[in-house]
Amino acid sequence: MVDRGNKNKKLEVRIGGLKLKNPVMTASGTAGYGAELAEFFDLSKLGAIVLKGISLVPWQGNPAPRITETRCGMINSIGLQNVGLDAFLREKLPFARQWDVPVIANILGTSATEYTRLASALEDAGVEGIELNVSCPNVKEGGIAFGLNLKSFAGLIRAVRKKVKNPVLIVKLSPGAPSIEEFSRAAEAEGADAISLINSIPAMAIDVNTRRPLIKNVIGGLSGPAIKPIAVRMVYQASKSVKTIPIIGMGGIITGEDAVEFMLAGATAVAVGTATFMDPMAALKVVEGIGSWMERQGIKSASHITGAMLSDIRRK
Amino acid sequence: MGFFAADGPLPEANPGQFFMLGVKNCGDDPLLKRPFCYFRKRGNTLEILYRIVGKMTSIMKGLRPGDEVEILGPLGNVYPVEEVFFECKKTEKTEKTKKTKNPLVIAGGTGIASVYPLLEGLPGRAFLFYGGRSKKDVLLSRELRAVSKKFIPATDDGSLGFKGTSVDAARDFLNGRAPDDFVLYACGPNGMLKAASALGVQGYIASEEKMACGIGVCLGCAVRTKDGYKRACKDGPVFKTGELLFD
Ligand SMILES: Cc1cc2nc3c(=O)[nH]c(=O)nc-3n(C[C@H](O)[C@H](O)[C@H](O)COP(=O)(O)OP(=O)(O)OC[C@H]3O[C@@H](n4cnc5c(N)ncnc54)[C@H](O)[C@@H]3O)c2cc1C
Ligand SMILES: Cc1cc2nc3c(=O)[nH]c(=O)nc-3n(C[C@H](O)[C@H](O)[C@H](O)COP(=O)(O)O)c2cc1C
Ligand code: FES
Repeated sequence: MVDRGNKNKKLEVRIGGLKLKNPVMTASGTAGYGAELAEFFDLSKLGAIVLKGISLVPWQGNPAPRITETRCGMINSIGLQNVGLDAFLREKLPFARQWDVPVIANILGTSATEYTRLASALEDAGVEGIELNVSCPNVKEGGIAFGLNLKSFAGLIRAVRKKVKNPVLIVKLSPGAPSIEEFSRAAEAEGADAISLINSIPAMAIDVNTRRPLIKNVIGGLSGPAIKPIAVRMVYQASKSVKTIPIIGMGGIITGEDAVEFMLAGATAVAVGTATFMDPMAALKVVEGIGSWMERQGIKSASHITGAMLSDIRRK
Repeated sequence: MGFFAADGPLPEANPGQFFMLGVKNCGDDPLLKRPFCYFRKRGNTLEILYRIVGKMTSIMKGLRPGDEVEILGPLGNVYPVEEVFFECKKTEKTEKTKKTKNPLVIAGGTGIASVYPLLEGLPGRAFLFYGGRSKKDVLLSRELRAVSKKFIPATDDGSLGFKGTSVDAARDFLNGRAPDDFVLYACGPNGMLKAASALGVQGYIASEEKMACGIGVCLGCAVRTKDGYKRACKDGPVFKTGELLFD
């Protein structure tokens, strides 16, 4: 187990064998490979950094425009543009590992073999965690197929689990999964150390003046505050379905209080995505926000927030 | 179009760079900051030149002195100006030969905000081609004339200067001149950039692809280059001619 020196133990949480200084991570695809955010703040102040999804070979990504803002959210269709495993191991990972913070790699493949090859290479490279993205709405041929079919989903996790021992294995559920409960149970049964959710939700927007879609791909993934209530509900369902493994919640978190809401619903840790686009310091502000909420509420440990929603409605 | 001015501790910016600008107290809508070029600094005031096209720019129009804004930047790279001062050519036989080039600046729409500080930094040196649909769309005529060697406005309807686009005006000007004597600086809509890069003058082109983060983490601002997609915000916004590919 990696134990990283931490003065303020109040915020510590555990994801499998990994001890995090605090419950806040970056969401995959919203923090690059770490270098750009490091220009703004000390990444070791976060619980973990989750890097942009990678595949075995480099992927070009989708044509522009790739993003559009919608009310309280944004739609993206980046299309998993990434440098591929080799360049990742050679150039990106060594850079990301220079901070005193666990590094979680996010992977995506078009077959179980691709996932296992990626996972093995990353284990050899010493990453602390691997997040299986089976939920990207933006690439037809990969990922999402596993996220929507329970049998191939379970088979994939089994195959990867057989290959990797050390890194914490996180499975990122698709918000389109037919049943969050069943998929969560299956992930746990097949040996996942944690479940993360939600990925962006398939969505689209049209410019009514030009009658043209606002992103080239027509359909993309919606993220940001617009999806938060759905995400909180799914985190709640996932946490009610698993026996012991922790949930990493995300979807529209901007403030510490947003993060606390996910934790009350059952998340042990959270990830900050779109908010980082609004403000590069967003994840750090969420860490501080959780701290001050705990102070106000007199709560001694962040782990006590998980699932601490009180279910009796009290009217004034 | 309007001007927008902000006071406060302002970092030094260079021509070609941009800022992400957000307004406070608007909750989550608009959600993201918006990119605006570094236009100019006057004393302690940062000025932005903008066109009202949607949500954020409409809110900006309604701001009053004392309202707070959030500014991130300066971001992105800078228009290189080495060639304007000298060019080093080294062939097998000859020694270095120095040759200065004349800046050929083409701007469309709010692209003028991007090249304005460049013009200010090269006073009396640039040949500027800038226009719009009609006379009233051509802003800052007096200032532009003052900072450039020659300012040739272009309007679609011919109500001011050359009748046609600013790229048409530049092509007309280049007729009979050696493209090698010039270095191109262009900023504007994609169609204009495509036409400008076909002029045969080497130089620099600034992209204004839509952005979400402005700092290189989202990959939303992808532009197609001969080496694959690059980020307009971090690898650009300024690219070499020939580097960017257009549809
Ligand atoms: C590097 C860079 C520098 C820029 N500099 C300036 C500047 O100096 N002055 C200026 O007026 N504008 C500039 N722009 C464009 C400016 O960012 C957009 O006009 C602004 O984001 C619109 O915000 P809005 O909320 O008012 O419009 P929205 O409500 O977001 O959109 C309104 C309409 O504008 C379109 N639009 C939004 N962003 C862009 C864009 N980047 N390019 C083309 N169309 C767009 C949308 O598709 C929509 O049709 C720059 C853009 C970039 C990328
Ligand atoms: C631009 C962008 C790129 C993303 N890329 C990835 C990715 O590569 N892998 C992945 O698992 N999720 C990716 N996501 C999903 C986020 O990690 C996150 O699950 C989702 O955006 C919801 O959180 P948010 O509302 O805080 O952004 C991406 C999201 C955005 C907006
Ligand atoms: S705007 Fe996010 S990478 Fe360029």
